[in-house]
Amino acid sequence: MTAEAPRESDGHRRFVTTVVEVEGREETKVVELPVSEPEPWGEDARLTVVGRPIPRVDAAEKVTGRARYTADIVRPRMLHAAIVRATIPAGTISEIDVTGAMAAPGVVDAITLEDIPRIRIDGNTLFDRTVKYVGQPVAAVCAETWQAALAAAEIVRVTIERAAHVATFADAIAADAPLVRRSGNVSRSSPSIMERGNVERGLSEADVIVRGAYRTPPALHTAMEPHGAVAEWEGVGDRLTLWESTQGVFRVRDEVATGLGLSRSRVRVIKEHMGGGFGAKNSAGAHTFIAAILARRTGRAVRCVVDRYGEQVDTGHRPESRIHLTLGARRDGTLTAIVADSQVTMGVGGWEASPTAIMHELYGCENVKTTDVYAWVHSQAMDSFRAPGHVEGAFALERGMDTLARALSIDPLRLRLSNVPGRDQEKGRPYSSDRLRECLVEGARRFGWPGWEAPAGLQDSEMRAGDAVGDGMVREVVAGGGIVEAGGGRRLRGIGMAAQVWGAGGGPPAYATIKLNSDGTADVLSGTQDLGTGTRTVLAQIAAESLGSRFEDVRVVLGDTERTPYAGNSWGSMTIASVGPAVRMAGEEVRRRLCEAAAEMLECRPGDLSARGSVISTRDGTRHLTFADVTGKLGNVMIMGHGSRGPNRRDVGLVTAGAQFAEVEVDAETGQVRVIRIVAVHDAGRIINPLLAQSQLEGGIIQGLGLALFEERIIDRATGVPLNPGMHDYKVPTSKDVPMIDATCLPVTDPQANHIGARGLAEPPIIPTAPAIANAVANATGAAVDELPLTPRRVLHAIRSTYA
Amino acid sequence: MLLTINGRPHDVHVEPFESLASTLRERLQMLGTKVGCDRGECGTCTVLLDDVPVYSCLVLTRSCEGRRIRTIEGVATANELHPVQRAFVTHDAVQCGYCTPGQVMSAIALLEQHALPSDDEIRRSMSGNLCRCGCYPKIHAAVKSVAAAAVEANDDR
Repeated sequence: MTAEAPRESDGHRRFVTTVVEVEGREETKVVELPVSEPEPWGEDARLTVVGRPIPRVDAAEKVTGRARYTADIVRPRMLHAAIVRATIPAGTISEIDVTGAMAAPGVVDAITLEDIPRIRIDGNTLFDRTVKYVGQPVAAVCAETWQAALAAAEIVRVTIERAAHVATFADAIAADAPLVRRSGNVSRSSPSIMERGNVERGLSEADVIVRGAYRTPPALHTAMEPHGAVAEWEGVGDRLTLWESTQGVFRVRDEVATGLGLSRSRVRVIKEHMGGGFGAKNSAGAHTFIAAILARRTGRAVRCVVDRYGEQVDTGHRPESRIHLTLGARRDGTLTAIVADSQVTMGVGGWEASPTAIMHELYGCENVKTTDVYAWVHSQAMDSFRAPGHVEGAFALERGMDTLARALSIDPLRLRLSNVPGRDQEKGRPYSSDRLRECLVEGARRFGWPGWEAPAGLQDSEMRAGDAVGDGMVREVVAGGGIVEAGGGRRLRGIGMAAQVWGAGGGPPAYATIKLNSDGTADVLSGTQDLGTGTRTVLAQIAAESLGSRFEDVRVVLGDTERTPYAGNSWGSMTIASVGPAVRMAGEEVRRRLCEAAAEMLECRPGDLSARGSVISTRDGTRHLTFADVTGKLGNVMIMGHGSRGPNRRDVGLVTAGAQFAEVEVDAETGQVRVIRIVAVHDAGRIINPLLAQSQLEGGIIQGLGLALFEERIIDRATGVPLNPGMHDYKVPTSKDVPMIDATCLPVTDPQANHIGARGLAEPPIIPTAPAIANAVANATGAAVDELPLTPRRVLHAIRSTYA
Repeated sequence: MLLTINGRPHDVHVEPFESLASTLRERLQMLGTKVGCDRGECGTCTVLLDDVPVYSCLVLTRSCEGRRIRTIEGVATANELHPVQRAFVTHDAVQCGYCTPGQVMSAIALLEQHALPSDDEIRRSMSGNLCRCGCYPKIHAAVKSVAAAAVEANDDR
């Protein structure tokens, strides 16, 4: 099965330069080629643990409350830190007076800019004298209890000389606007232009041209567990241990080491359980440095957990986008041109996640031109939020496609089917797995999309929904005549759909070590993270499969920069496609060695042995040894395996595709939208655990539903103050908002992507949900609902402006 | 003051303004009750007070004397999960797990009051417990399965 020697084509090269895509950004890296990579598990591979819907391994810990999160870490004599924040959006700090706070009961220490090294977080200086947004950390205190620290933070007196601020994109680019960053109010790359073909020619070839303006809201991650860190120094303060709620232990280690001027190996970062991340927990934050610095100064452990207000005003957000989109198409629906201009309101920092990148990928089109401008304003920084950029762009593109379908009188689904690209258009190469069409067709079938064969056994109510919309184009609202009381009265039904594409191919470097214990069980060590995504469980399945062991004999240890080998951040839906192959390779090595040891004991050749269910058997099935028999005889002779992730192939594009279909009910009098059902079909290659995969899909869809209907961070333009910095006024979906969801993945594998055949699944499901819902609302009302979220006010406004 | 938590007496000294969440976590090191907002918005810290689910971050500990406090630590026995916990595990009603103890407490309170709640009753009763991972469909299925199993067991008797 396994090639022992380096591949011929690579000669004796052990290190190669390769390109890895992370959330749409490409990084060039020099990586080591694995000595021997297993053959891919093909379609016909007989797998017994991979592919099973096994409940997650840490579920029992979690349902009993025994799982320990960062706020549950208790160290001897630990102190608690609280952050003092700016209350105005722009100005210069003239004085910070901590004397009152220091005299308060239980307070031990306080720090401001003077007390810390110069630490840069996302292009801004920690505790900077220049205030750039409400919520910016300006000082911190620590005390014997958290309550005492919070109370002391309240009485730190901060004097800020107020300056003019900019709150919106228009404010930022206005002439004479106050500068948010010294380099200017737009990012250095703005305008960022990407062009393929010739859009003027494309538009001239079009029979129909449609134009639209779309807006997506600033959205907050709102993980249930806020950001937090516990810091403790060892000895005389030269080794730091950090427990951090993070998506990337190694990245936090590197950033903290850089910030504090330490060698990387002197910082140990540990993450066991975390209460969600969604992109906001990719880096060390103010809280991390505050905990580390106060711990060094006081000689005691310090816990700094961000409170809910701080979490909502200072830990990143999905930036507001405004997109102007022009689509040109021939009468048969073939796209001839896509032109998009976006304006992204970043806040004070963040990275340029293009909202228009999806315009170059999702549908086939020879002529595409997009222009992105990113503006800095006086509010909290942008940070990655589940499929950054693509969520925003998909809304514009998929609303635009529905507008085009209407203009052409083509069924929206058929319009998409006729524009499936079939290949990676930017790089001119095929996809490793080209299944957007299958997702669209299978989704339509499951949904009962008009004109597509309905599935057997469909509920009556579902049939009615399909019938009510006829060809998918029927309006129950007529121009000039207001609302027609059709069928169910003022409640209007509508259906809509949208599609998705996202990288998610993973890549190197990522490592795993598996050690076989003397009782025959195995420990898998890898420095990756489980955000609640199921990484622990899925890696255990891959390990058990490759070891030939029972699932319950495998334990997975993650997230410790000192005790586990390197794996990257859990972002870009990369974890399983990156770490999974490394785990499999380590498992194969352990199994090979175990069989060699067993062969010695059974006096046969290793090739005559196979392993399954933690038992090694001879081919003829006559003789057996359990793993524990072999390791017991070996005593303290230890079998270990090492695995690494090899580079991706350059001749295929790695994407994950999917399609979602929504049915909604709109109350024409109140503007209230109720989502009745969502059907989702995605292709992510081989699904290691269908139960957990379904949870991922449902979770993404529900976050997408929140973005479609409720979620919007609001900042008062006049004062620059966030008006809904909590979970009461910033509305996330609750159990009452959840529709019937039928979410599934295609039963396929992707042997060209990597040797486990899996790609990522965390981000894809959020991408098409909001546009599918908005298209359904447009179908129900006939109104152009082009601004999210679709609050009752916006829906009523859209209906009125359409029929006024 | 004397608190009765999971059937056991605890003699604690508490501040007048101290929340029950804070007493449980910081004084008694009962860390199973998580805190998501500390201001009554998310339901993560839900415990049962005289069998009624409450946000422990909004309850003053001083008001709890003589009342029955039940937390996640008292739900499972040493060797066995509560049926609600078991259903959460098998239905994968857990992702990051941070809101889970609160969800379990709310589900237990609901099922103790209504042996066979309707879908709407489940949605309404559980709507005070936010889950950002979006486990709602699986939580719903888990709660329903426990109710159905209990009714079936009753019928068999």
